Amino acid sequence: MMPVDASVVATDVAWRVGYRWIIKDISLQVTAGEVALLVGGNGSGKTSLLRVLAGLNKASRGQVSRHGGVGFVAHHSMLYDALTGRENLMFVTRLGRGRDPARVDELLQQMGLTAAATQRLATYSRGMTQRLAIARALLDEPGVLLLDEPLSGLDENAAGIVADVIQRHRDAGHAIIIATHQLIELVDRATVVGFLVSGRLAAWEPIDGRDASGIMHRYRELAADD
Amino acid sequence: MTNGFVAMAWAIAAKDLAIEWRTKTALVSSLVFAILVLAILYFARDATAVSSFEMAPGVLWVTFTFAGMLGLNRAFLLEMENRALDGMRLTKATPAAIFFGKMIGNLVFVGFVELVSLPLFILFYDVPIWTRLPILVAVMIMATLAFVSVGTLLSAMVVRTRFSEVMLPVLLLPFLVPPVVSAVQLTWRVLADRPLAEMTGWLSLLGAFDVVFFLLSLLLFEAIIVE
Repeated sequence: MMPVDASVVATDVAWRVGYRWIIKDISLQVTAGEVALLVGGNGSGKTSLLRVLAGLNKASRGQVSRHGGVGFVAHHSMLYDALTGRENLMFVTRLGRGRDPARVDELLQQMGLTAAATQRLATYSRGMTQRLAIARALLDEPGVLLLDEPLSGLDENAAGIVADVIQRHRDAGHAIIIATHQLIELVDRATVVGFLVSGRLAAWEPIDGRDASGIMHRYRELAADD
Repeated sequence: MTNGFVAMAWAIAAKDLAIEWRTKTALVSSLVFAILVLAILYFARDATAVSSFEMAPGVLWVTFTFAGMLGLNRAFLLEMENRALDGMRLTKATPAAIFFGKMIGNLVFVGFVELVSLPLFILFYDVPIWTRLPILVAVMIMATLAFVSVGTLLSAMVVRTRFSEVMLPVLLLPFLVPPVVSAVQLTWRVLADRPLAEMTGWLSLLGAFDVVFFLLSLLLFEAIIVE
């Protein structure tokens, strides 16, 4: 994996639906080799922030700059049920310029989906779909990876595969942001943690050797102050 | 237009058509609908009061319009399944390439439904069509282009709304009045073997709708797919 020059920077970003502000005044910077965990309760704005950072939602205020291309794993797989796993990835490949179709087979193998590559997505389990969605996000070798609950629905083995993928991309100099409730599996791979409370970034701090319970303790403090 | 643009648009259209061919969700319902409309309207008329020839142009375009609408509805519902449209937006495909791709897919779908319906129409209504087929096909292509341009845009617009299947006809039909009226007028003249000079006005109008609807749809599409 080639080292990459990647970063994502948000400056005073806000996004609203109608008159309701979903996220407000968020500034953050994740650079090459950093893995940021986004921690927050349901409805705190984690998914909205990732969608704005990915460029899927246009910021109502503020600016987002990205270097190195973006790969996004969302709540929904962004794949087609009627296509096979391989066809889904080949379709994305065709929407790129000059991508190598051999990368499709390489990713299917990495994600442990080679045997299921010719089955339609509709026959996949939740964990298999999630792994294919991660393969989809990695197709273009993006510098920035945005992962929304990447371990959701994965068994221990599949979660290990995904955690290894995150580690390898971190080591190769990718900038990674992960919104997750599954801190135990991912905290060792992270370098910074952001706490989202009621749509605001209440704190953005280095991990500093904290474990999952230390992070949750800090989150409860910040949420209580809100 | 670069090769990349054309290749991306074609990839999107080919994907849509492959999925439709596998699932046949819209295809079967559109074809069944077209056959039913042609048959019901034929048998519902009073043969002593109205000749099939007088009814034929209106019946043809009612059939094409409503059967085609079933396919247009499906075009973007497919993209909302698993939010696949977001996935497309994350690729290098531009909104214009996505619009072209969806439009080509819709054109092939509606064209196929028309192609299957036309022989049935000729069979039921016994219209003298064979010598005038080229000009009738030209009218069909022009009217279908206007229909599909605005239909692709509106189906992208309504797909995030509740009851999108109901919303599409409500929004689309007013836009279709000018091209469908032009197509009906032209079809009547073609079937009646009228001289080309009698058709130029309607042909110009239909051509103008094609250009305006296509350009407006292309320009507005990006604003519609961005949240």
